[in-house]
Amino acid sequence: MHPEEKAWNDLRTAASSRLRPGFAGRVLGAARGPGSGAWAALREAAAACLRPGFAARVLREARGAVMPSYASQFALSAATVVLCLAAVLFLQQRNQRLADERNLAEWRAIVAFAQEIDVPGR
Amino acid sequence: MDETSTTDLVDLVRRAQRGDEEALHDLIVTYQNRVAGFVFAITNRRDQVEDLSQQVFIKMVRAIGGLQAPSQFESWLFRLARNTCIDQLRRQKLRRIFLPFAAEHENIPEPPGAVDTEELDALRHALEHLRPQDRALLALVQEGRSHAEIAAVLSTSVAAVKARLHRAREHLREHYQSHHAP
Repeated sequence: MHPEEKAWNDLRTAASSRLRPGFAGRVLGAARGPGSGAWAALREAAAACLRPGFAARVLREARGAVMPSYASQFALSAATVVLCLAAVLFLQQRNQRLADERNLAEWRAIVAFAQEIDVPGR
Repeated sequence: MDETSTTDLVDLVRRAQRGDEEALHDLIVTYQNRVAGFVFAITNRRDQVEDLSQQVFIKMVRAIGGLQAPSQFESWLFRLARNTCIDQLRRQKLRRIFLPFAAEHENIPEPPGAVDTEELDALRHALEHLRPQDRALLALVQEGRSHAEIAAVLSTSVAAVKARLHRAREHLREHYQSHHAP
């Protein structure tokens, strides 16, 4: 082989050894964008995320967890409001009664004291 | 899908609409991998695939009785899947606004064990750079939905779908090239 030809061959070999395997596929992939293989790999990777018995689990969840209806949510809200109002009214009446009892007791004490100091002939 | 399988699917959907557990089970098994792939394409998160796919099928089980045209089951199912994923991404975005550390919690690196091939890695990298709506658009095309069906799903015109699809493909190719350079 002619030395010059050998040198060119060596250059080609050295250059091609720098290309990673699958060079042609990567060039085509880069030029055309992701092909069906990439999308298929995505689907496979996603399918691998589903644990065995997925369908049975979905059906169990769908039947088990009952979605609250708007009516039931409204009823719950209304019941909460009624309970809160009842609690407020009860506390308010209780405080009022205690205050009345305290005031009456004070008045009785004042009346008793007034009667004591108002005894005729004293 | 050929005529026989379309008839089989319509029959399966009708049985499922009547509450046949076996038909519902068969429908889930038939579509679970495709829905999982669709969810993965939109969210790009392995750890969300099962949870979101489950949500999609639970919605399917609860709403299938109201499906007017059983022959439209596939496009109806993928519309459910698309809306479920987009809603989830919106909720995550809202959480990031109100909860300062939510983003850090949501961006936890995926657990080791699942190693992507070079091709899949490049596709995921490219999808990451697209808006969720565009990812959903490309995923719908990959699921064989026609432009007219996609237009119906997105409540827009066929021309608008074509334009958006062209832009989305351009972006995908651009980012795919940058990651998948020879």
